[in-house]
Amino acid sequence: MTQTPMTQAPVLAQGQSATATTKPARPLLKVENLSVEFGPKASPIRVVNGVSFEVDAGGSVGIVGESGSGKSITSLAVMGLIPSPPGRIVEGRVEFEGTNLLEMQKARLPDIRGRDIAMIFQEPMSSLNPVMTIGDQIGEAIKLHEKMSREQRRERIVELLKLVGIPNPEGRLGAYPHQFSGGMRQRVMIAMAVACNPKLLIADEPTTALDVTIQAQVLELMHKIRRTLNTSILLISHDLGVIADVCERVVVMYAGRVVEEADVKSIFRNPSHPYTRGLLQSIPRLNDERSRLYQIPGSVPLAGTVKKGCPFFARCPDRIGRCAEEMPPMFAVSKSQRAACWVTAGANEGATAAVTAGVTAGGGVSEGATA
Amino acid sequence: MMNARIEEGITPRTGKQAGDDFITVEGLGKTFSENRMFGSSGSAVRAVDGASFTVRRGETLALVGESGCGKSTLGRLLLRLIEASEGEVTVDGTRLMALSQGDMRNMRAKMQMIFQDPYGSLSPRRSISQIISEPLEVFGMVQSSRQRRERVAELLSQVGLSPTFMDRYPRQFSGGQRQRIGIARAISVNPQFIVADEPVSALDVSVQAQIVNLMQDLQQSRGFSYLFIAHDLSVVRHIADRVAVMYLGRIVEIGPKARIYNAPSHPYTQALLSAVPEPDPETRRARIILKGDVPNPANVPSGCSFHTRCPIAQDICKRERPKLAETATATATATEIGHLAACHFAKPMPIPVG
Repeated sequence: MTQTPMTQAPVLAQGQSATATTKPARPLLKVENLSVEFGPKASPIRVVNGVSFEVDAGGSVGIVGESGSGKSITSLAVMGLIPSPPGRIVEGRVEFEGTNLLEMQKARLPDIRGRDIAMIFQEPMSSLNPVMTIGDQIGEAIKLHEKMSREQRRERIVELLKLVGIPNPEGRLGAYPHQFSGGMRQRVMIAMAVACNPKLLIADEPTTALDVTIQAQVLELMHKIRRTLNTSILLISHDLGVIADVCERVVVMYAGRVVEEADVKSIFRNPSHPYTRGLLQSIPRLNDERSRLYQIPGSVPLAGTVKKGCPFFARCPDRIGRCAEEMPPMFAVSKSQRAACWVTAGANEGATAAVTAGVTAGGGVSEGATA
Repeated sequence: MMNARIEEGITPRTGKQAGDDFITVEGLGKTFSENRMFGSSGSAVRAVDGASFTVRRGETLALVGESGCGKSTLGRLLLRLIEASEGEVTVDGTRLMALSQGDMRNMRAKMQMIFQDPYGSLSPRRSISQIISEPLEVFGMVQSSRQRRERVAELLSQVGLSPTFMDRYPRQFSGGQRQRIGIARAISVNPQFIVADEPVSALDVSVQAQIVNLMQDLQQSRGFSYLFIAHDLSVVRHIADRVAVMYLGRIVEIGPKARIYNAPSHPYTQALLSAVPEPDPETRRARIILKGDVPNPANVPSGCSFHTRCPIAQDICKRERPKLAETATATATATEIGHLAACHFAKPMPIPVG
């Protein structure tokens, strides 16, 4: 955190992206040009590189990517939970309701974290205290942020457990995490996360460790939370099925960068980045009749090994010479879709010019290069 | 005499046809008794209960179910990596349960295994060449070190890796590459049957496609059979010829892939399929949400073990355990035969959705 947010911040504020201009309201969460590095400062490894996206109040955004894409680190950075050392946020802004969380005093952060922004993780057991009853654990989350009498708190806990579908909630207040199944623990985690009616719920692979019938229950619960509490959701997942189920907008990450960002329908119907296309073609589907799966050749580059050009260059079926040299900025493909690809941009000549001002995820690549 | 029979089986020129039954499993079961460390009485867990099915030559039979349903245990019972409590497995005419340890070891030249965790299943201190050639040496299939290296090089290129990797160590490889190494090791002895236990579950989507394609290519060129154990129904849909669905240690439905996916006849299979989130925001299938969790396997419900979560359960389901029975009617076409379900009310799509 040595470098303060970049000098071009005012420019970015004016140059609203194409999406932002259509909806005047301020987004609930605005991540701008976020970069995270790990390792020694002399030879840092950049694992998140110029990431920008927004979550509207009441909206649901999914970040999808494979291991090493930087999706989890991005969500931890939003929560201010990057372990430091060895990690540090080297540039960017994380604006929550207009306040840059990265500039906020450390002491004030826990106020927002837990109350306004809550997080659930993949493995509920590692996030629950094994020697504390679940009633006490949920109560603690409430106690931290809200003044309530003991009776009021107890009522609230029972109400929360009921909301997340724990049978016989009064009877389970004194139970310990090990007495619950994986799916039930994830419900307890969600109860704890929504205890203070957060405005934003960040869920990092919330159903990955669960069986498919239990996953269906938890996804249903997430829909219910959104419906009843109007909580915005930022969902991190590798599973395109889960993303399609929960999210309205999708951010596709690859090797630390955002390569495409669009409404969920465009991502699945009209993917613009060759990586998004490859990813969608390589997943088997229930109604699949293909004898062979499409395979993206090669494998994801190790973090920080791509020094110049597009990180997908080596595996891309559509690459052109320019891709090896320059990282493409985000081009608008349509009003609600942007992709960081020279080839896609070339095919959409009309769009190209319209975008350059709105480049928010170019990650240091000179904007002038698009001309 | 035993060895003679095995030798004969290894060569592909035995006049046996693809599609013949290669493995027959009858009433296979495994009961684990809980250890009685602190003097507690300990309850028995029937991890696998009365499994009967066949695996044909050259086919892929997928075994699906949720965690704890016994699918991995069943896979291991077939190779006698775990000893069965009851039942019989017949492989190419040889009854496995009667074999001595030594004869069983020889039998394993025909039957290999691919594991889920490409990180945990390769010894970190042995070179790739040592890992891949170990089964070859155990079965005396290579005589000299030159021959060994040639064979390893050949195997590496067959699984899409460079032969120059031979002297490296597992830590130098990615998850997908390690899974290729595991596959090379399994196919080194020309097996006729491979148990693949969640082989692509730990892999990223783009790598998963590569491994699935590789496994299919190898099967096509070598003609072996897979028992493909998985929880991902989309992957199974892609790779399997037939599918068996397990719940609490029992096979509740088995049949040709098209029947299982298009006309699931056990309510559990139907619910399982409906729960898979479709990677398409515009097809919202009516999802059947099952109540509660899978019951404790140490305390399996009476009658049909699914009755506690089944939306269409009746009184009879609590009392009588339904038999795994043919679902096809008298007018069934050839493709519908061999579709069995263990439900008192078995019929295509038994749970009404609407």
